[in-house]
Amino acid sequence: MSVAYAELHCLSNFSFQRGASRAQELFERARQQGYQALAITDECTLAGIVRAWQAAKDSGLPLIIGSEIRLEDGPKLVLLVEDLCGYQHLCRLITLGRRRAKKGEYCLYRADFNSPLPGLLALWVPDDERDASNGHWLREVFAERLWLAVQLHRGPDDRQRLANLQALAVETGIPAVACGDVHMHARGRRALQDCMTAVRHHTTVAEAGHRLFANGERHLRSLQQLVELYPPELLQASVQIAERCHFDLGQLRYQYPQEVVPQGHTSTSWLRQLCEHGLHWRWPMGIEDKARAMLEHELALIAELGYEGYFLTVHDIVRFAREQDILCQGRGSAANSVVCFVLGITELDPMTSHLLFERFLSRERNEPPDIDVDFEHERREEVLQYVFRRYGRHRAALTAVASTYHAAGAVRDIARVLGLPPDQVNALADCCGRWSDRVPSAEHLREAGFDPESPLLHRVLALTGTLIGFPRHLSQHPGGFVISEQPLDSLVPVENAAMEDRTVIQWDKDDLDLVGLLKVDILALGMLSALRRCFDLLERHRGRRLTIATVPPEDAATYDMIGRADTIGVFQIESRAQMAMLPRLKPKTFYDLVIEVAIVRPGPIQGDMVHPYLRRRNNEEPVAFPSPALAKVFERTLGVPLFQEQVMELAIVAADYSPGEADQLRRSMAAWKRHGGLEPHRERLTRGMLANGYTEAFAARIFEQIKGFGSYGFPESHAASFALLTYASCWLKCHEPAIYACALINSWPMGFYSPDQILQDARRHGIEIRPVDVCHSDWDCSLEPGTEGALAIRLGLRQVRGFREGDGRRIEQGRAMKAWSDVSDLSMRAGLDTRARELLADAGALQGLVGHRYQARWEVAAVQAQLPLFAGLAAPSDEGVALPAPTLGEDLFADYSSTGTTLGPHPLALLRRRLDGLGCRSSQRLVELAHADRVSVAGIVIGRQRPQTASGVTFVTLEDEFGMINVVVWRALAERQRRVLVGARLLRVVGRLECESGVRHVIARHLEDLSPLLSGLDVRSRDFH
Amino acid sequence: MLWACILLPQLALDGVLRGRDDPVAPLVLISGPTQRRVLQAVNPSAHALGLRAGQTLSTAQTLAQGFTCVEHDPAATEHLQQLLAAWAYRFSSQVSLHYPRALLLEVESSLGLFGPWPAFEARLREELTALGFRHRIVLASNPVAARMLANGHDGLAAFCPDQTRAALVRMPIERIGLAADAATAFVRMGVRTLDQVLALPRDALARRFAAPVQLHLDRLLGLRPMALACYMPADRFDARLELNFDVESHQALLFPLRRLINDLTVFLVGRDVGVQRFTLYLEHAEAEDTRVVVGLLAAEREAGMLFELARGRLEALQLVAPVRNLRLLAEDLPRFVPPLGELFEARTQQHQPWEQLRERLRARLGDEAVRTLQVQADHRPECAWRLGEGRLANISAPAAPRPGWLLATPQALLADGFQVLAGPERIESGWWDGDDIRRDYYLIETASGQRGWAYRNVGDSHSLWLQGWFA
Repeated sequence: MSVAYAELHCLSNFSFQRGASRAQELFERARQQGYQALAITDECTLAGIVRAWQAAKDSGLPLIIGSEIRLEDGPKLVLLVEDLCGYQHLCRLITLGRRRAKKGEYCLYRADFNSPLPGLLALWVPDDERDASNGHWLREVFAERLWLAVQLHRGPDDRQRLANLQALAVETGIPAVACGDVHMHARGRRALQDCMTAVRHHTTVAEAGHRLFANGERHLRSLQQLVELYPPELLQASVQIAERCHFDLGQLRYQYPQEVVPQGHTSTSWLRQLCEHGLHWRWPMGIEDKARAMLEHELALIAELGYEGYFLTVHDIVRFAREQDILCQGRGSAANSVVCFVLGITELDPMTSHLLFERFLSRERNEPPDIDVDFEHERREEVLQYVFRRYGRHRAALTAVASTYHAAGAVRDIARVLGLPPDQVNALADCCGRWSDRVPSAEHLREAGFDPESPLLHRVLALTGTLIGFPRHLSQHPGGFVISEQPLDSLVPVENAAMEDRTVIQWDKDDLDLVGLLKVDILALGMLSALRRCFDLLERHRGRRLTIATVPPEDAATYDMIGRADTIGVFQIESRAQMAMLPRLKPKTFYDLVIEVAIVRPGPIQGDMVHPYLRRRNNEEPVAFPSPALAKVFERTLGVPLFQEQVMELAIVAADYSPGEADQLRRSMAAWKRHGGLEPHRERLTRGMLANGYTEAFAARIFEQIKGFGSYGFPESHAASFALLTYASCWLKCHEPAIYACALINSWPMGFYSPDQILQDARRHGIEIRPVDVCHSDWDCSLEPGTEGALAIRLGLRQVRGFREGDGRRIEQGRAMKAWSDVSDLSMRAGLDTRARELLADAGALQGLVGHRYQARWEVAAVQAQLPLFAGLAAPSDEGVALPAPTLGEDLFADYSSTGTTLGPHPLALLRRRLDGLGCRSSQRLVELAHADRVSVAGIVIGRQRPQTASGVTFVTLEDEFGMINVVVWRALAERQRRVLVGARLLRVVGRLECESGVRHVIARHLEDLSPLLSGLDVRSRDFH
Repeated sequence: MLWACILLPQLALDGVLRGRDDPVAPLVLISGPTQRRVLQAVNPSAHALGLRAGQTLSTAQTLAQGFTCVEHDPAATEHLQQLLAAWAYRFSSQVSLHYPRALLLEVESSLGLFGPWPAFEARLREELTALGFRHRIVLASNPVAARMLANGHDGLAAFCPDQTRAALVRMPIERIGLAADAATAFVRMGVRTLDQVLALPRDALARRFAAPVQLHLDRLLGLRPMALACYMPADRFDARLELNFDVESHQALLFPLRRLINDLTVFLVGRDVGVQRFTLYLEHAEAEDTRVVVGLLAAEREAGMLFELARGRLEALQLVAPVRNLRLLAEDLPRFVPPLGELFEARTQQHQPWEQLRERLRARLGDEAVRTLQVQADHRPECAWRLGEGRLANISAPAAPRPGWLLATPQALLADGFQVLAGPERIESGWWDGDDIRRDYYLIETASGQRGWAYRNVGDSHSLWLQGWFA
């Protein structure tokens, strides 16, 4: 049988809620069926086309790029790309339709086809096989580039339908071609396709009725079946059309924006000039030879690969931020180059780190470099808007993220369309866990009261399993920018984002990598906001200007503080897990911090690398290297692989990988959990290592470690950039704790700890905190001279819950002119409404004007009733009305509900006597105990964590008036006393103290809920979380 | 006057529990959108499991298992409230449902009948307990005070304004029914009880609080009266005709029946409602009453039609004993939607409106005998139609040609004697309910020219099954 066919109308799962197969499945199947080519024609989108391109390359079957479009006032069409010109027209057309409509929709009209669309072929999909009018119109638009799509799906009378369509073809003079209107690769996806239809129509499959397809014929059918349905000339036509389409995404040529290069310069000469300038700026005392040599090496590589434009573009963005005093810091190993250091993209001196520049810039791979730049989180928007302004909306857009179905979302949609009641849908979704990509296990379901054997649940689970990983919609990447010289819509369609004034291209970052487009990540980082505030406060109060790069390096006092785990509020090493590690690791140098940042990650923990490293560091185990060659690779981490880069280097040194191949390994490591694909590397690694004289056992162990690394392995380059911020924040906390705490609170929300916890910590360090007061406070927290040259923190009006910034700023300004005389003066000049006055009164912020908060509330209530007419007159006085002063407990309660913190005694200080009676030790007196002693402690529960890496252990953090207590609750106890564990706000723990290298935990044996004691303090509604 | 407040703190929950055979098993009432289900109320055994009102359902599920969830139904609670008001109406002519989950009764005038108060109160408690409602009862000299004191008391009886005031002044400021913002303001001023409020100068208060605050305080203390809307028994029609002699034939019942029906229609028109269902009681001298229930598909109030219907039912009946009285009870009285008639409708003598014909058929043949036919959107032929109730729906014809007559079960078709005119049409659908079909359908014609619809299961090349005939 010599029949040939190419499918020209096929949707992938990027036609959201329509297509029920992935591109790989479609191409694999089309190849098996012996098709000549496969078009992917997702509805008004090219979001899935790069994946399809990849799948086409993998399968060896040609891809035809196209799109299905239904006109608002016209017929349904399938557009196919013939050449580059046609591709650009299609991108523009899709952009036009998408930009006009709200996110996720599109809107195109006949009029949009008035201008010629060379390079695009069209298939007309008539709704009514007897209506020729659309055909005549299309004939005018597309002339000989038009066919009539004949799609037969074993409907009521295919023979008649074929005859009608052929008659229509004759009548309109449009040649007919066979098409499949494919929605799935195989018939087996019929159920999933029905489900997606129901999801799309917000109904259940049982009620979807005729909106479902009558059968499963819309799959890639065998040639045999097609021959039975279609006359040979219609099949032949499909192949002829396919042969005309010779465009390949590889033909796209991306150009870096040109305006970053001034007149009279080439990009190469300009980059060199900027770098020369930067060399002198970074090394004013004379340039190191090594730096000069590295710069030359890097510039040569950049020139060879043609990436000057990339570095110049990033430089331009960073330059803008610098001019606006927005703190920023680059990441990624390209960022840790001399070029980036001298361009000011990063503050990390590359001479101090040991990094592979090759990782992101490699001769072998034609992929663009990747630099992420973090900006102050409150000011990133300014940077984004600058980019839009500078390059224009037609040349700059955010990258997309194809949000995919996780288990919970998938099971939710499937269960809903199968008609399960809402409560059961929720219960099923709860069985999945938050980001899991796996169908919940049978035991898990049984625990939740489901019968996994029931046919209904069987169906739900099977369909869920298929749906997981499917794209469900496009959303915007938090900061990935694409900038190009030519209009973006000639490269890729652009659509509207959910946020106003944002436009998003239809590709995500992996797609961009494959096609070779420039991407700059403009990200937000709270710590940078805090550091900038620190540097400003430091200048104002201490007359000293520092930058991240000029913070005094390798300061012993700072490392002592870190070694004590006194790190609440600093960058990265503030979490409980990090704080438990610090006393064991005792960082002494910057590189120790790089390791510290990287080591407390799921990757190293699962790869079991933490303990060998610690043992070797503490000289409990000899440092050994499998070979002298590898000694160089693992020297700095005492023979234990901790970083992604080391795994790559290992592959290069021990298994003869090229740098490009090693990078492939890195990518596979990141993705193996989702896509597999690590097996070829196992063979390759083992073979290479055996050839170089390593043992098979060693190769196997290394491979297991690589797997453990999985997607969590942390690159050294990122760790180094982060460690720099860690060091800067620690230095500030150590030497200027008041400035640091003040800046941190003003940058909140960020980090791990609430302002209350940061303030409690500051107070434990002897810093004076002064209350919110309209006579002294600004909107932000500020610093006032304290005793003996120390600074005291004055709480800002921003701490008053619900108080508006505008009101706060007016108070600042009004007071600068003249001090407040009384509450009405304040209300009038600062323009405060009733709500604002009441908030201030409740916060105790009127203390300086009228006294305690009860009296203040009474006074404020009288102000509100005054008519403006009598504003000048003194209010009738209510002398004789003296309200009772709040008790300690009442103040505590009011403080927390209004400002989220208290400057009075800690709640536990008020309860201490009773806790003593119960035999509870304070965190302060915990140090008196030795390892394995029995102990009873109590504190307010400020954290409960159950990390996935810690098999059922719950970590509870208690706070008392002296500090925090770490409690470990094993699974058995957690299950026995679940109610107490989940419900208690004030918890007593009886157990055993565990003490190892300065880290103290209480291993709980019994829990007791003491929350009622808090009610006695009248803090019943304090929110302790 | 003396007012009793019966507070029903767990009205909704009690309403659910009294309908269950195991009221002690853990049970919670839930409400809220599906993303955030919240516990509304918990019974004591659920409370013992650590469950509390206000928790989210997901929190509750992490705390405990094996408790029953019941959706909170506000309508049912409202109905209970009406029921309890009707119950209380027996004790007092002034019953008010002014406050949710509470009954206010003026009891001074009832004390003569049910008093003294301790006995009266005991009786109320006894009956409420028997009905299955937890309660708190407080007596005070005005209704507002009674209601607010019930927030903090049970069994308190303040017979005079002084006693009432004495009890009130000790109440926490948040519990005396002030608007939330006013109560908060007082608390934020450090004012915690009513007597602290009353100690403040009245004019100073007036400058600080809106007028309704003072008004409420005055009403609470009985200084100003409060007009309460009183409960009125629900509307229903219940009429009895005493026949002067024992009637033994249907025929003799028709006249009184027509009268009752007429009265009913007058009543219906007066209230602008229709009747969906009414009951005739044939009261016999010796035997138990015979009940004749007349149900309609839609609310009606046309006398002739109602009479015809009732007559139809009556005539189908075998009288067990002579009838002494005839009673008509109609409680199901929904709003009436009149049919749209055309202005110049051509109506002949023989013409009978469809509704009337339908009801007549139903009356004669039985309710089950007359059904409507409805189209169901489903690709599977056997699922594409169903029997329905209610008004005749518009039937839209299916897009593809489908036989008008579907066989109850498909029949195997013999190999010859027919020819295939069209097909196959493939239908694959229904996987979700276990009745998945995969069939190729053919239009066939028999030797005698009859057109039929037959299918072959996909993958089964032999048997052809006839499923229907085209008209």
